[in-house]
Amino acid sequence: MNWFPHSLRWRIQLWHGLLLLVVIVAFCFASYRLQREETIRHADGELDLRLTALTNALQQGGRQAQGGGPPNPAQDGAPGEPPPPGAPAPGGPPTLPRSFQSAELTSLFDLKDPNPFYYVVWSRRGEVLGGADADFDRIPRPATEHRGLTRITRDRPGVRELYVVTPPGECLLVGRSVRPIDRELNHTLLRFIALGSAVLGLGWAGGWWLSSRAIRPIADISHAATRIATGQLSERIHTDEGAGELGELARVLNDTFARLEAAFAEQARFTSDAAHELRTPVSVILAQTQLALSRPRSSAEYVETIETVQRSAQRMQGLMESLLTLACLDAHSEPLQRQPCDLAVLAVEHLDLIRPLAQERGIPLHADCLPAVGGVDPDRIGQILDNLLTNAVKYSRPGDEVRVNTATENGSVIVRIADNGPGIAPEHLPHLFERFYRADRSRNRSTGGAGLGLAICKSLAEAHGGTIGVESEVGSGTVFTVKIPTGTAR
Amino acid sequence: MRLLIVEDEPDFLRTLAQSLREEGYAVDTAGDGEDGLYKAVEVNYDAIILDVMLPEFDGFELLRRLRKTKTTPVLMLTARVKVNDRIHGLDTGADDYLAKPVDLNELAARVRALIRRANGNASPLVTIGGVEVDTAARTATLHGEPVVLTAREYSLLEFLVQRRAKIVTRTQLYEHLHDENDSPLSNLVDVHVFNLRKKLGADFIVTHRGQGYSVGL
Repeated sequence: MNWFPHSLRWRIQLWHGLLLLVVIVAFCFASYRLQREETIRHADGELDLRLTALTNALQQGGRQAQGGGPPNPAQDGAPGEPPPPGAPAPGGPPTLPRSFQSAELTSLFDLKDPNPFYYVVWSRRGEVLGGADADFDRIPRPATEHRGLTRITRDRPGVRELYVVTPPGECLLVGRSVRPIDRELNHTLLRFIALGSAVLGLGWAGGWWLSSRAIRPIADISHAATRIATGQLSERIHTDEGAGELGELARVLNDTFARLEAAFAEQARFTSDAAHELRTPVSVILAQTQLALSRPRSSAEYVETIETVQRSAQRMQGLMESLLTLACLDAHSEPLQRQPCDLAVLAVEHLDLIRPLAQERGIPLHADCLPAVGGVDPDRIGQILDNLLTNAVKYSRPGDEVRVNTATENGSVIVRIADNGPGIAPEHLPHLFERFYRADRSRNRSTGGAGLGLAICKSLAEAHGGTIGVESEVGSGTVFTVKIPTGTAR
Repeated sequence: MRLLIVEDEPDFLRTLAQSLREEGYAVDTAGDGEDGLYKAVEVNYDAIILDVMLPEFDGFELLRRLRKTKTTPVLMLTARVKVNDRIHGLDTGADDYLAKPVDLNELAARVRALIRRANGNASPLVTIGGVEVDTAARTATLHGEPVVLTAREYSLLEFLVQRRAKIVTRTQLYEHLHDENDSPLSNLVDVHVFNLRKKLGADFIVTHRGQGYSVGL
């Protein structure tokens, strides 16, 4: 299909043109046929009229020949048939009765007519009795099997004829040249072709205009999409088609572009935040080493420098691990190792891991765990538990309590980690699971990480098809709830 | 010269403080916005080095509140490097802006320039009589001959020279030569003045009884 134009507009135009052509041709053809039939019927009507006159004349001629007496059954015709024309002149060549000389027939077969009618009359024996035309003797006599008053048409080259065979056997034929009719029909055909071409041309032009109008929004969309593809993400499709399919398409595309732009902005912000997080430990290392190298130092000072550098490197390592975890979760590159697993057991295990830190900070830990078995990845769920427990212990004040409970509710396994620590201000709650978001505006404090812990928890929970939520009240504590549907166990 | 550094990353704070102390400054430190603002308002620092990201309230907020009462030169120090952040910082009242990671030498140079400009001195070289003080190189000469000074002596000299033709009180000297962790005897100022007079000439530093000292008045 290489010859087929790829432009949508041209395709529309081509199909439109083809359809239009078919319709116009069909219409013209039908009209021409109708016109032709009408013309022929009219011509046949004329022939019929004249044949009737001839038949009348023949009958009249028969009666005149008998002198108005009864018919002679002894003649060579069948009984009851009228006497043959030409009988009044026995012996001589048969001729037409005098009735054929009537004014009516003369006017009907006027030779001065530009397209005159002609007729031929054959006797019962097949001899030409007479006719009106220069060379009527050369007209072939039609077959006479169909006696009776059935009128039969026949076409010979250039002429149309109507004949009838009387019951006794005489044959009357009327004919006329069809050349003028053909000429007239040819003219009609040409007119139809001209008209059809004009309509086709107009229709084509109209179609072009319509398809141009229809295509224009698509062109707008295409241009906008091209500009977006080259990086102008804030570009939108400007279309005045308020309603309609293309308006709808433009709206859908604009929404998509907006989401795309937001995703890019999010990505850019994420990258810049990550760079920012790396900048702090790098700054420490650079400044500390520059200071240490600026003059000779005691070994204690060198040790301090190295320790500082180590701390910064550890911080960078932590950040890198977090970023890698998030990248893996985003890319779904490491499938979950799901296995039937009791969250109560997991929770108690991880509670024991955090116990030394909790004891150091003077924070009692409590577990209230009902069996909650579901198909989960124990390592990933463990990561969530570690993060949430560490946060709870880290942000609570000495004497506050941290509680863990697990349960099965409505086909989901649930872990709740609650503390009665200082709580989180309501304005932070909606952003808590965003990457690099820290309720405490300072990102550099020694107690804090990069603000990725909860974002990782959220990604991990979502990887399990679950959710993570938070409720908090300033002064009375915070509850994190992780809900994993057990139905996803495989 | 006494500086305040407000920075919440402890390692970075310690490094900056040590570096500037080695440059001869008396350095106070603060780990959050609240502490920083308290000190900045209470003490007449020669310059403040201020991080933007701080617990409690950020550097911009600290600066806004400080500027209601004080004109202390402020150098903003931040990991934010966007032009808009710099513009915002400068428009809020910061005198200079430096992005992390910082070069300690550049930081020291910028602090020197800040202090110089705040005292209305365009040039780092100040000549009073036969004494010339190079505040960039932290050296002094008498009639072209180099004079050997201890760090404290130089600091006292620079403080007097930056405020030349003005009377500097003993309290001011005491405040600007020692940081919050020093608790020296108050007559140490007299000892330093005595030593400087020995090295630079007896009439270089003038005593105004009951008021303080001056140079070049």
